[in-house]
Amino acid sequence: MTALGFAWRSLVRQPARAALGILGVAAVGALLFDMLMLSRGLIVSMQDLLDRGGWDVRVSAGDLPASGLRVSNALQTADAIATLPSVQAALVIRGASAEIDRASGMPLKAAFQGVATRSTDPAGSRLRAPWTILRGRDADAPDEVVIDERIASESRIEPGNAITMRASCVADLEALPATRLMVVGVAEFPFQTTNESTVGGTLDALKAACGGNVGQEADLILVTSKGDADGTAAAIRAQHPEVRAATNSQVVGRLQQTGFTYFRQISSVLTTVTVSFAVLLITVLLTVSVNQRLGEIAALRALGFSRMRVVKDVLSESALIVGIGGLLSLPLGLLLASGLDRILKGMPGIPVALHFFVFETGALGVHVALLVATAIIAALYPMRIVSRLPIAATLRDEVIG
Amino acid sequence: MSASNGVIVDAQHVSRVFSMPAGPVTAVRDVTLQIRNGDHIAVRGPSGCGKSTLLHMLGCVETQTSGTLLFDGKNVSQLSDARRSLLRLRQIGFVFQRFFLLPMLTARENVELPMSEAGVPKDTRQQRVQQLLEYVGLAARADHRPSQLSGGEMQRVAIARALANGPRLLLADEPTGELDEATGAQIAGLLDRVNQAGTALVIVTHDPTLADRAARVLTMRDGQIESERSR
Repeated sequence: MTALGFAWRSLVRQPARAALGILGVAAVGALLFDMLMLSRGLIVSMQDLLDRGGWDVRVSAGDLPASGLRVSNALQTADAIATLPSVQAALVIRGASAEIDRASGMPLKAAFQGVATRSTDPAGSRLRAPWTILRGRDADAPDEVVIDERIASESRIEPGNAITMRASCVADLEALPATRLMVVGVAEFPFQTTNESTVGGTLDALKAACGGNVGQEADLILVTSKGDADGTAAAIRAQHPEVRAATNSQVVGRLQQTGFTYFRQISSVLTTVTVSFAVLLITVLLTVSVNQRLGEIAALRALGFSRMRVVKDVLSESALIVGIGGLLSLPLGLLLASGLDRILKGMPGIPVALHFFVFETGALGVHVALLVATAIIAALYPMRIVSRLPIAATLRDEVIG
Repeated sequence: MSASNGVIVDAQHVSRVFSMPAGPVTAVRDVTLQIRNGDHIAVRGPSGCGKSTLLHMLGCVETQTSGTLLFDGKNVSQLSDARRSLLRLRQIGFVFQRFFLLPMLTARENVELPMSEAGVPKDTRQQRVQQLLEYVGLAARADHRPSQLSGGEMQRVAIARALANGPRLLLADEPTGELDEATGAQIAGLLDRVNQAGTALVIVTHDPTLADRAARVLTMRDGQIESERSR
């Protein structure tokens, strides 16, 4: 009988103890798995969001794209950027606040994103706005827009319907005449938050909706390089020292140094706590189990079982508890992560498409490594007990006891 | 065969002193003893006289604090723990008063365990387990767990387990201590058969009936062999 087989029989000998250990490890392992997914979840998810649409450099007036500062002379800047040899296309994005009239009730508040593409490259001219069309087509003309699913479902609007919208491109919303726009598609806006509604169209459509009162500013210029994002960002910074140009990875790096660092710290602390708890749990269970079987272990040693063999039995038992519990922890952790993700995404200002918990094979690898370490560390003390067990004295004590 | 004229164990002036908080306690004092192939020895004496400690030293689970103990010509105190374990596995069988069968294993698996540890091939193991269980009269209960066996049956399984690797020396510490008189007699008969088959047998016992079956009876007092009687 192998050490693992022997450990399995020892484990099932006391089903309640085995179940307690396995369920404990499953619960702790699920938390551990979630903390590992959380530690890099926002970073991975943000990188994924930024990479969507193929725009790999972001040009803004502030350190981070969503700083609230606007790029002045945006169209001229985009035109100049588009002439850089490493640039395929540049896309100017300007936002406005809007209200969409509804057949009944209060108007629906929405954000209006207007975009304009600049490119000297035929392939670049075909690049579209950073939203994904779900139904219908993208808006090309100044009287066309795409809407999000929220507007579509709440106002029962589908491609082909017209909407009446008032928009304001300046801080104080002034009373503007309503503009009638044709909805040509339903789209998913990557940075849209949970309680937000968004309309997208060309910059000309936005200008029309704002009554021409847009100015020369833009919130952001997205750039697609021809492959060298870092070189392109550097070239833009050299060409326009007044703006901040950063690759998606650099943006994520800046976010890591600011807001995201809290999640990493929290997850590190909770990971340490959960691993410590798992170690204590398994150590206590194995120590109790070993102490209950000292006579049997001494008898096995007397019959010729080596010290290494009885140590292996304890280690195998620990590995079984942690292994089975660890396997159960994966689906449990994913389930828990999905619930926690939903709760955290309910916070204001969080993009719908952003996830706090992201599964990565790297996280799974660290999870497995931590559980292996847990199994070994938890077994150290009980292994020490059996390896130092005085055979004769234990047999004597068992008879007297 | 033994390295020297069938001698399995050659203990010369062995003593065992335990360090206790109240001061050193001498459990075995200056014992000289030889065990040869096929010997049948009983060790008697009052509680605490050092019988079990002597048995443990003969079985290489306890090392002497002075004197020399050779097992098959090898100085036991100079062997590593791993070598002593291997020696016990292949050459020595133990039978305990409290059986110490593993409750999660069947009788068959309990008997198979030492062979498995010794690396005996599976086919050979299974054949030998069957033979041993038939030998102790428990072939029909091979798949029963210890909790489903009586005390006498458990001790028979323990004897079969002790014989699994064909030891030259079988050591039994109060093998009938937990059994009633009739069952104890059955176990005594079984141990006689084991000895008659050629295995040297050393039994520590308080039971005079069991001791009287031995060819040599050693009586211990205060850690020393007070007398030796041969039949």
